[in-house]
Parts: sequence; C-alpha cells; structure tokens
Amino acid sequence: MDDYSRPDPDQLLTRIETDQYDDRRSRLKVYLPYLWGILLLALTTVVGFLIELDISPTNLVMIYLLDVVIAAIYLGRGPAILVSIIGVLAFDYFFVPPTMTLSIADTEYVITFIGLFLVGMVISALAARAREQAESAQRRAADTIALYSLSRDLAAAEGLADIIKSVRTHLETDFGDDVVVYLREGDSLYPYFEAASSEIHVGEIEMRLALWCYEHSEPAGFGTNTEPTARSHFMLLKTSTTTMGVLSLKPLDPSRPFTTDQRRMLEAFTNQTAQAIERVQLTEQTRQIKLLQAAEALQNALLNSISHDLRTPLVSITGVLTTLEQQGESLEASSRHSLVVTAREEADRLNRLVGNLLDMARLEAGALKVRREPSDVQDVIGTSIGQVDERLTGRRLRVEVPEDFPLVNMDFVLIVHVLYNLLDNALKYSPSDSPLEIQAEILDDEAYIRVLDRGIGIPEGDLENVFDKFYRVQRSKNVTGTGLGLAICKGIMEAHDGRIWAANREGGGTIITISLPLS
Amino acid sequence: MDNKPRILIVDDERPIRRFLNTLLSTDYLVFEASSGEEALHVVAAERADLVILDLGLPDMDGVEVTHRLREWTQIPIIVVSVREQEAEKIAALDAGADDYLTKPFGAGELLARVRVSLRRMTKEASEPVFKTGGLVVDLTTRIVTMDGNPIALTPTEYDLLKTLVKYAGKVLTHRQLLRFVWGNAYESETHTLQVNISNLRRKIEPDPTRPTYIVTEPGVGYRLKIN
Repeated sequence: MDDYSRPDPDQLLTRIETDQYDDRRSRLKVYLPYLWGILLLALTTVVGFLIELDISPTNLVMIYLLDVVIAAIYLGRGPAILVSIIGVLAFDYFFVPPTMTLSIADTEYVITFIGLFLVGMVISALAARAREQAESAQRRAADTIALYSLSRDLAAAEGLADIIKSVRTHLETDFGDDVVVYLREGDSLYPYFEAASSEIHVGEIEMRLALWCYEHSEPAGFGTNTEPTARSHFMLLKTSTTTMGVLSLKPLDPSRPFTTDQRRMLEAFTNQTAQAIERVQLTEQTRQIKLLQAAEALQNALLNSISHDLRTPLVSITGVLTTLEQQGESLEASSRHSLVVTAREEADRLNRLVGNLLDMARLEAGALKVRREPSDVQDVIGTSIGQVDERLTGRRLRVEVPEDFPLVNMDFVLIVHVLYNLLDNALKYSPSDSPLEIQAEILDDEAYIRVLDRGIGIPEGDLENVFDKFYRVQRSKNVTGTGLGLAICKGIMEAHDGRIWAANREGGGTIITISLPLS
Repeated sequence: MDNKPRILIVDDERPIRRFLNTLLSTDYLVFEASSGEEALHVVAAERADLVILDLGLPDMDGVEVTHRLREWTQIPIIVVSVREQEAEKIAALDAGADDYLTKPFGAGELLARVRVSLRRMTKEASEPVFKTGGLVVDLTTRIVTMDGNPIALTPTEYDLLKTLVKYAGKVLTHRQLLRFVWGNAYESETHTLQVNISNLRRKIEPDPTRPTYIVTEPGVGYRLKIN
C-alpha cells in the first residue's frame, strides 16, 4: 500500500505555480482595508480643515476617534491599529500647533495622543472580536442550516439512490462534485451507481484508494498524505458502530486543501450519510425478513394443504384394506365390493395428485422438455377425450374441427395433458347431464382450441387467478382437486409460446381457450 | 411338467413382484428377477415365454436388457415404466419390446396385455382374414369392409392398415410404422404418418373424433384395438 505516498513531481510543480498566482490576488484583497482606512483619514483631515476655525483641536480628536471605531467595526483589527497610529500623527501634523510639523508646543497634547492611541487600540480590539464572533456565528449558522437541510433530505430518502442523490446535491455547492459512494460488501467495496449516472468513471486508482481508505480507516487522496495528487478526496462513511463504506469527491477548488472548518463540516456530512445508509440497509433487511416470513407462511399453508390432500386418500385406502384384512370373510359381497371401489378411486386420486405435483415441480424447475412435432389436432382432441371416456357416459360432447385443419407444431403428450385437464375441470364443474363442446379454429397465425361447458362458470374477478398455483374457486367446496391443473396447463402453454385464458360463456358456463403459434 | 406359459417378472421392488406374482400365478408359471443381469440369466435358464420388464432397474438400462434379449430370442417383452421414463419407454419399444404399461396400472390392463402378447406369439402365421368389431381385412384379396360395406383405400393406407393388422393389439411406435410402411429412410417423417392415420380413420372409424379401432398411444405410436 506504500504506492500511494508517491506524489508525482510534475503535478506538484504545476500546483505550486497556480498557488503563486493566487497569492498575489489574495494579497491585494488583504491590503484593501488598509487603503480604505487611509482614505478615511484623508477625508477626516479635509473635513478637519473645513471646520478648524469653529472648534478647538481637542474636539477634532473625537472625529479621528470615530475613524478608529469605523475602521475597527468594518475593516478589522489591523486597519484599525493603522488608523489610530496614522490618526495621531495626522492630528499632530495638521492641527496641533505648531502645525505642519510633528513637534508639539503644548505637552498637554501628549495626553491627547496617548488617549487617542489607547482608545483606538481598545476599541479596535473589542470591535474586531465582536466582528469575528459574529462572523463565526454566521458561519456556524450556515453550517447548521446546511447540515439540517442534509439530514432532512436524508431522513426523507427512501433508498440508497435517494441518499446518494441528496448527498451529491448538498456537496456540490460547497465542496466538490463527482461524488462516489463505495459500499461495503463482505470484506470488499463496490462503487454504487444509480442506473442513470454512468458518466462518473471509477478507475483502478480510485478503487484502490477507496479500499486503502476503508482498510486504514483514514482519509486518502487529495489533501491527505496518501496519494495527495489524486483528483478526489476519500473519506470514511462511519456510524458510531460500523464503517458503511467510503465517499469520494472531487474538490471544487483543486488548488487548495480543505480548511479545518470544511473538514469538520465534511465529517459531519459523511457521518449523517453513513447513518442514513445504515438506516436504509436495516430497513431493507427487515423488509427481506418480512418477505421471507410471508413466503414461509405461504409455504406452510401449501404444505398443510398438500399433506391434507395426500393423506386423505391414504386414510380411505388404509381403512378399506384393514377392514378387509380383519373382517373380509364376514363382510357381504356387496359391501366388500363397495369398499374396494372406494379404495381404488382414492388410489386414482392419489396418483393424479402425485402426478400433478411432479408436473408442477418439473415446470417450476424448468425441467419440462417440450418435443414439438407437427401434430393432428383432431388426434390430440380424440386422445384427450379417450382419457376421460368413462366419465362421459350420459353427456353430449360435440367436437368441431374443420376438415382441412393443418398439422400444428406441439408436444403431443403435453397438449393432450392440457386438454385432459380442461375436460376434467369441465366435467367436475358442470352438471352431470350438461353438454360439453370442443372447438378448433385457425385465426391469423394461431391455432385455437376451446373447451366449453355449461357449468357454474368462474366469478369475473377470478378469471385470471384460476391459473395460479393452488388457486381454487371458493364456491366449489364439494369438488375435490389440488388447484394445480390449470397452473400446469398454463405452464405447458407458456413452454409452447402459446396462451391460455378463461372466459364466461353467454348463457352460463365457462370457455377455456388455448392458442398455439402456427409458425 | 406344467403346460402353463412361463412368465418372468423383472422388478427390483419386492412388493411389486409379490403383487404381480399373486396376480399371475393362477394362470401362469411365474419366475422373479430383481436385476437386469439376473433377468438375462433366468430367461435362458427357465425358458420364459414372456418377460415383464421394469425400466428402473438398479444395474442395467431397460433398453439394454431389451437389446440383449433380442439378440437371441423373440419372446414377448412388456416394459413397465413411470411417466418420467417416456423416452426410455419408446427406446425400449423401438428396440423390440412388444408393449408397455405405465405405473400404476390395474390388474385388468396387465392381464389383457399379457394375453395379447402371448396370443400373438402362438399364431405368428396370421390367418388370411382379420376381424375386429365391424372391421374385416382380407389379406389375400386386399379387400377391406366395415360393417359389410367395402372401403376404398389408397395403397399406402392399405399398407398401413395391413401393418397394424399384422401386429394387432400391439403398440407400434411412429418409427416402427414408418419403417414398415415407407421404409427406413422415412423414419422421422412423423407428419406423413399422421396424415395417413387421419385419412384412414376417416374411412374406417364411425366417429373419427373418438377412434375405437386405431387408438393413439400419446407420444409413442398407434395400436389396432382388438376385442
């Protein structure tokens, strides 16, 4: 890390030159009040000449004394002292007999001189102190206002981006721009950027300086002993307990280091910022924890529901089997048969449920492979009907597929599975003697297959939700199911770049449509 | 010596072997094997007439077992798979397995498959006239009738129907049908097969939307149903 304390001599030289130029200008600024003091004295002397005849010289002293007070208040301590010295000399020279010489006839005037001089000194000291106090009070007030306004903005900030934006705004007026905040991540740092501010470039040197600053808990870069030629100043973002990261900024005036006041102020700024960042990060953590808790609660609910659904058939099956095991002999043939039928139906249900859960898991894991082949829609529909054949007795089922329907690219098995699920739902949610319909149609560049029933329909607000996992329309308490069928259908359709949607049918019932792209 | 057909059950799950054994032992002489190696050995040693082969064996791929059996015997093989083994199932059928069952399956289904497979074996030299339901196919005169009405078929449709009839009751994979009817070069022309099946159904099925003669085995192929 010693690399950082190696200033580049060339850059140092340029810096000194700019310093000299600037010194000349600021020296002029320093001497200006003295000139004003002398001008003031000259004016007083002229006025003195004008009124000399009317008043005694002793009273003229009062006017000079006024000069000293004015100089002390408005020009500062140095000019005030100069004014009191020159004032004494001018008074002596111009007004004390013998005039136009520095000698004095009346030794009484020595007291006047000493009085004038001492009063000038005291007043100038007092006035200057008052002035300095006022100035520092003013500065403190300004600092307080700046800090207050920053902390107000930080308090209102809702995220990291907000915080960094307001820090940037507050720093660029008085301190510097190109503010970069490096946040801690494990043992390392990374520069934080909102998406929009990509114009700020963080180079390798900046990154290393930030890291150095972070690891040594010391400011680095511009204005410090570590790589002072760097363009930016690096400061720690520290709260009372931890270091949140590092903040760097490019000073407005690269020719002079920050003053003590500025450093103090910057420190206050960075402290505020660090606290705000900590707060936001804690809030974010809390939010994450809450989300996790919610997800966990949902998962528990799902697990409960699944374990209930899995166990119910097992209860019946076990019940039937133990009954047969213990009193199979004594049971009447008819009741034995009905027990066996129950067990068999429950086993089927269990098998469907396990199949659905596996399908869902495969869909969610992205492990479902879609083998697309040109397929005969007529055959797809026929095969899915074949799978519900037994349950169709007593139902009218109308299938409408145009004669010249082209082969459509799809995974035959999966689309049969979708149609099977749709038929299964239609059978479950409609009266046992109501008719069913399946229609196929080509519109533009999509193939549509619709399954229509005359069942209970779906509440308008639920038309989209029915495709959610474990969602079941509330009003159908007496229908068994996992609430997975339509979610699986949706997953399969999406894997085909196709769509699935539900609508209520005119005159009652549901229409579920799937669409497959033809190209 | 017992004259019952000899069936070998290959499955690594004891409860499943036991269930199958109980189910089959009334009409057949049943042997068990719990691994592929053991199965290959027992088929030869016990001169099995039919093999019920589970695809999820611990030591050997079911397709591999099928291949090795087909090197020296044409005895019927019925593969048993779960839904997740689609690809392996088709590969086993392509390799010469006769039929398949998907777990869980009912007793009736299994017994029917076993009967069909064994019957096909015993009357390999098929009779010149095939009948099922209202469908009659006379293989010598190439005349096809449905409920006594003659049906006009294109040469390809007839070849397709003839192949299905030849293997009646057995599932034929897309690849097998394409190979038998069109030739080896057409193995992947599934759409040609689909179109011809569709046309054939329109001519012989009473309701083409709910076929009862030529049934689709989703993802696998077709089967001509026999009653």
